[in-house]
Amino acid sequence: MDAPDHTTLQEWLSLEADRCLSPDKARILDQHVAGCPGCRKERESYAALAALLDGARLPVRPDFKAQVMAALPAAGWEGRQPRAWSVPAAICLLLGGLAVYLLGHGAAGLSTASSALLALGGMVRAAVEAGAGLLNASWKGVGMVAQESLSSRTGLAVFGVFVLCINLLLISLIRRKTLAGRAGASARGGAGR
Amino acid sequence: MTRGGEQATDEELVAAVLEGERERFGELVERYQGRLVNYLFRLLRNADDAHDLTQEVLVKVYQVLDRYDSQYKFSTWLFRIAQNAAIDQIRRRRLKLVSLRQDDPEGDGRDWDLPSGERGPYGELRNRERGDAIQEAIEALPWEYRELILMRHYGELPYDEIARLKQMPLGTVKNKLFRGRQMLKERLQGFLSD
Repeated sequence: MDAPDHTTLQEWLSLEADRCLSPDKARILDQHVAGCPGCRKERESYAALAALLDGARLPVRPDFKAQVMAALPAAGWEGRQPRAWSVPAAICLLLGGLAVYLLGHGAAGLSTASSALLALGGMVRAAVEAGAGLLNASWKGVGMVAQESLSSRTGLAVFGVFVLCINLLLISLIRRKTLAGRAGASARGGAGR
Repeated sequence: MTRGGEQATDEELVAAVLEGERERFGELVERYQGRLVNYLFRLLRNADDAHDLTQEVLVKVYQVLDRYDSQYKFSTWLFRIAQNAAIDQIRRRRLKLVSLRQDDPEGDGRDWDLPSGERGPYGELRNRERGDAIQEAIEALPWEYRELILMRHYGELPYDEIARLKQMPLGTVKNKLFRGRQMLKERLQGFLSD
């Protein structure tokens, strides 16, 4: 390696203060500093600066960690964690097993586990059919209400105004969000400079 | 907490927390509380505000921990959030300060109280002077130097992380830190020989 100039060596002193100087450069620097009073003084001033800044550190409050831990809210991601599902899943499994056992025991002539599973399947199918029927009825109800409301001119007008209001609300929300985003970006840029 | 005698990395701790070991977030808090409080203290100039904002930042980090991308260092991500929070706070405070100054034109705007090391009345005074001088010297630095000095000295971030955080080439970071330190040394000349 060629002998570095004085400016480079001064920069190395800054890197050395951060313990970021490679061993071979540190060796060259040591050799130079040994014969250069200016750089020796510079090295001392870097050490003194680091000590001065370190000495002015603010101690953290003793109860700070406990305060932070107590302030932690239930984060949204916690509900999506596998461990969070383990307890409900175990309960479902337990209830399912219990249902299979009871159905297998209770049904006349159904003594085998396969018969119990068939009975359980039948129960699930009935539940699905009931749910589908309920959904169908609900949609029919909604349809009837809508037909009733839109059959008169007044109802139609009210519906039109309602749709218009919803659209205006959406547009204003989108505009507000865009303006807030722009204001935030420009303010951050300003503070950054 | 250690694993086989070795301390868990930040990324391992984050993974453990995300797996449901909520209490391990405490290890991350312990690891970064001093660095964050001091970094924010130098930016906000007030110990209570620095503690409050550090807590706010850590709570926010916990809330969005699942969005952390482990291809980046946790500390880079954490300090980015802290820096944005501090900038927001400074901006809010500036608005407040304008109205306060109108009410109290005599106020000098000083609202920090630095820690004391030396005992006795003279020691207290000396510490206060030294603390004030450090704060003033840091504040006198241009923003681009100041934030790098604070990240390095109080955030204890390595050069490459600062470069990534500030989206600057590594050489620029080294150069700015060098210049920033030169400016600090000049301003704090009287205290360096103590």
